[in-house]
Amino acid sequence: MRVDPDRTLRGPWSWAGSVRSGSGVGQDGGVTSPVTPNRPPLRRPADDRVLAGVASGVARHLGLHPTAVRVAFAAATLAGGLGLAAYLFLWAFVPEDSQPPVPGPGARRGRQVPQALLGLVVAGGALVLLGGALLLQGRGVNLRLDLFAPLLVIAVGALFAWTQLDEATRRRWLPSEGDGSGGLLRLGLGLALAVAGLIALATQGRDIADLWSVLVAVLVVLAGVAFLAAPWAVRLWNDYRAEHAERVRATERADIAAHLHDSVLQTLALIQRRAHDPGAVTRLARAQERELRAWLYAGAPAQTETLAGAVTRLAHEVEDLHGVAIDCVVTGDRPLDPSANALLGALREALVNAVRHGAPPVSAYVEVGPEEVAAFVRDHGPGFDPDDVPEDRLGVRESIIGRMTRHGGSARVRSLDRGTEVELVLPLAATDGAPPRAAGAPTTQHSRGKARP
Amino acid sequence: MTTPTRTIRLVLVDDHHMFRTGVKAELAEVPEAANLEVVGEAGTVDSAVRVIKETRPDVVLLDVHLPGGNGRGGSDVLTGCAGLTTEAGQPVRFLALSVSDAAEDVIAVIRAGARGYVTKTISGAELARAVTRVADGDAVFSPRLAGFVLDAFGAAAGEIAEVDEELDRLSAREREVMRLIARGYQYKEVARELFISVKTVETHVSSVLRKLQLSSRHELTAWALSKRLL
Repeated sequence: MRVDPDRTLRGPWSWAGSVRSGSGVGQDGGVTSPVTPNRPPLRRPADDRVLAGVASGVARHLGLHPTAVRVAFAAATLAGGLGLAAYLFLWAFVPEDSQPPVPGPGARRGRQVPQALLGLVVAGGALVLLGGALLLQGRGVNLRLDLFAPLLVIAVGALFAWTQLDEATRRRWLPSEGDGSGGLLRLGLGLALAVAGLIALATQGRDIADLWSVLVAVLVVLAGVAFLAAPWAVRLWNDYRAEHAERVRATERADIAAHLHDSVLQTLALIQRRAHDPGAVTRLARAQERELRAWLYAGAPAQTETLAGAVTRLAHEVEDLHGVAIDCVVTGDRPLDPSANALLGALREALVNAVRHGAPPVSAYVEVGPEEVAAFVRDHGPGFDPDDVPEDRLGVRESIIGRMTRHGGSARVRSLDRGTEVELVLPLAATDGAPPRAAGAPTTQHSRGKARP
Repeated sequence: MTTPTRTIRLVLVDDHHMFRTGVKAELAEVPEAANLEVVGEAGTVDSAVRVIKETRPDVVLLDVHLPGGNGRGGSDVLTGCAGLTTEAGQPVRFLALSVSDAAEDVIAVIRAGARGYVTKTISGAELARAVTRVADGDAVFSPRLAGFVLDAFGAAAGEIAEVDEELDRLSAREREVMRLIARGYQYKEVARELFISVKTVETHVSSVLRKLQLSSRHELTAWALSKRLL
């Protein structure tokens, strides 16, 4: 009853396996025994199957055409049911192809065509059987239909249910496949058929009144079986969950390892090679630290869209260029707009100035307030008198102080006991009417982590 | 500041043995750390609690990220050592130490009771000063922590407490102190800038620390909730 004539036309069986006949299919097939190179192990393939892939698997294993095997199974089934028994036996004992079914439309199509044909084939087979049985019955042969009909119903029911369970295991019980309702329907249908068959078998020759007690008995037995099987099912499910979690963890570990290999290990190798150059080593270590930190705390806001992000990026650039660490702290934030460009330019000059002429530690503090942006750059160098600056710093001073005043802000250079501090202030209200974001409002919905390097 | 004769007993808690060794070596080199004595070391939450209870040190240098305990690192050590005092009757004080500058990581240990926070890139002399300060009951803020405080309390946006006791906002003076610390000023420099004594600066910082630990301001509460501190 598994004959499917259409399938002769398709099927990718162009490979020429060694055609061997006579050798028993054997339950040893393929699981443990060594297999000749051009003979695949006896497995039930996941892709090309009408029912459970038994015929197709046997065909692959023996190098026959699957349709031939299917016809043979069907013929053997008609002749005394041997084919059915063999089929069920192989289904139970031949492992599935462990290779997962190829996802995508191709795989789905491969299953959908036989899905539609399956009903036709089953119905046709059932009709043929029924006709044959009636014919024999009419000729006077007692087929004991009262016994075989319920058995047949049970078998069909079990077939339905098992097909579903089989698929379920194949898909690792993943609900994402999306045919859950159809599968459940088939499972339910199969169970109902099996129960009906059992009842019919049990109530042979009895009164219809006994039916209820039998029904109750069957249900009780089924409930008992379910009850007994529950712990096993739960354990199976838990095992699966644990394995799944472990797989997720392993993937995560692999990702982390890959990232560390690409970034940290490479940098460490570079550092070893340039160990004689402390400046380069510091720069490498600092850049790597920043990169690693950004990766660890991923999900930080896009760095370039806000003023705080731009300031942080600026500090990093100067750090990378000159190899001096800058401790950069930003409070508050607002969207980045052109009005802040003057401040950013001056801040950059101040930072470069500090790392070039001052001494570490260099700190930068930028405060984005509701009315103005204030920036402070401090180093610990010997300091200098702003009125007595060397020639090369005059330009720097111009590009800091001059730039700020041109844009309505102010700049001040202060000499401290240890080091110099440059203070930049840019009023915001004068440049545009847009209210500052985030920290600007009193009910601050404030953006954390922005000051992070 | 303490008198140089007093010895400060120190316990190092960090899961990296190399880092503990490095800190010890660095402290041995700087003159500022002459009165510091490392009396114990630990690498996990559980061993840290045990060692601290045994030695009852003045200051614990506490790594923020630690294995063991309930999985909350340094906070678990602080919880496990709650109420512990030294032989002199002073509370055992904690100084958080982290390679991470993310305020979220630090805020948990601060709210669990640490007296301050420094980054692992700190120099030996600075670390010794910070430890001494914490031993005296004062607070130690890094520039980044100060910036975080300004942000979290809305001070950067101009929110100022009407009365100093208000927990959810900084007073004008506290804000000034925090701003200067964020700018990289030492306490001494802050004091000179604001024409106040170093002791007053320390008082202000301690007051900010108290607010940081007790405030129910929604940003802090959100943090605490997300870190399951409440």
